[in-house]
Amino acid sequence: MAGISTDLIRGHTNTIILNILSQGDSYGYDIYKKIIVLSDGKYELKEATLYTAFRRLLKDGEIESYWGDESQGGRRKYYRITEQGKQTYEQNKEEWENAKVILEQLIKGGIGHESE
Amino acid sequence: MNLNRKIDHYLDQVFKDVGKSQQLFDLKQELRVNMQERIKDYKEQGMDETVAFREAKVSIGDLNGLVEDMRVYGQQETRNRIYSSMTNRISTGFIVLGIMLILFGVMMTISMIFMDLEPVAKSGTSIFVVLGSGLLVYGILARETRKRYAMSKVRAGLYGISISVILFAVFVGVTSGLATGQLFIAFSSATIFMVIGIGLIVMLLLSRGETLRK
Repeated sequence: MAGISTDLIRGHTNTIILNILSQGDSYGYDIYKKIIVLSDGKYELKEATLYTAFRRLLKDGEIESYWGDESQGGRRKYYRITEQGKQTYEQNKEEWENAKVILEQLIKGGIGHESE
Repeated sequence: MNLNRKIDHYLDQVFKDVGKSQQLFDLKQELRVNMQERIKDYKEQGMDETVAFREAKVSIGDLNGLVEDMRVYGQQETRNRIYSSMTNRISTGFIVLGIMLILFGVMMTISMIFMDLEPVAKSGTSIFVVLGSGLLVYGILARETRKRYAMSKVRAGLYGISISVILFAVFVGVTSGLATGQLFIAFSSATIFMVIGIGLIVMLLLSRGETLRK
C-alpha cells in the first residue's frame, strides 16, 4: 500500500479538515475515520495532530465547537465550519489547483529543447 | 479496573503535571469519548479489550504538543485564581466590616435621638457610618466579579477615603450645628471637608481614562 509522506501532507491538514466539515458537522474520531475512508486507507492522520489542528482552526475562527447531547456515554465535542472557514476552504482549493499544475511541471518537466 | 477507569487513568497520567483549567477539562472529555469509541470499534473487529486499549493509546499519536498548550492555560488559571481569591477575600472583609459599622452607627444614632440627651450628643455615634461607608466603598470597588476586574487597591482606597471625607463633612456640619445652634457655623465647618472630598472624587473620575489607556 503506497502511503503519502507526512512532509507532503502537513500544509494541507487544515484544508482536509475544512473539506470534511463543509460536508457536515463532525467530531474527532469520526473525522479521523473519514480521512482514512477518503484516502482509501492510504493515509492516517493521527488524532493528536487532529486536536492540535482543531485548536488552531478554532482560534482563527475557521470552525466552531459545541457539545453533543448523547444520552449514553460521554458527550462528543462537535465541530462546525464557519462562514469564514468556508471561504478559506474555497480559497485553499483554488490555490491547490494552481499549485498542482506548477508542481507537476517542476517535478516532471524537461527543458530538453533549450539545451540544443 | 473497568475500561472507562483505565482511560481516565491513562489521560490523568498524560496530563499529570498540568494545572487545572476549563480547557484541560474539555480536552480530556473529548479525548475520553473518542478513545471509548475507538476501543469499541476495535473490539467489534475482534480484539480483546486489553489489546484494543493498547492499540488506541498507540494510534492516538504524540500528545506532547497538546500537553504543552494545556500547561500554559493551567499556569494562567493558577495565577488568576490565587490573585482573585486573595483580593476578593480581603474585599469581602471590608464589605462585611463596612456594613457592620454603618448598621452600628445608624442604630446607635437612632437610639441616641430617642434618648433624652443634649442635642450635641445625638449625632456623635454616626461617626461609625462615616467610617463604615468608606470601608464599604473600598470593598466593593476592589472586588473582582464575572463582569469586571477589580479596581487597583490605591484607587479603590482613594474612592473610599473621599466618600468618608464627604460624609465626615456632613457629620461635622450637623454636630457643630447642633452644638452651637447656628446654621452658618454648621456650614462653614463642613465646607473644608466637603471641598477636599469632592475635589478628590472629581480628580478620580477625571483620571479614569488615563488609567484605562495604560
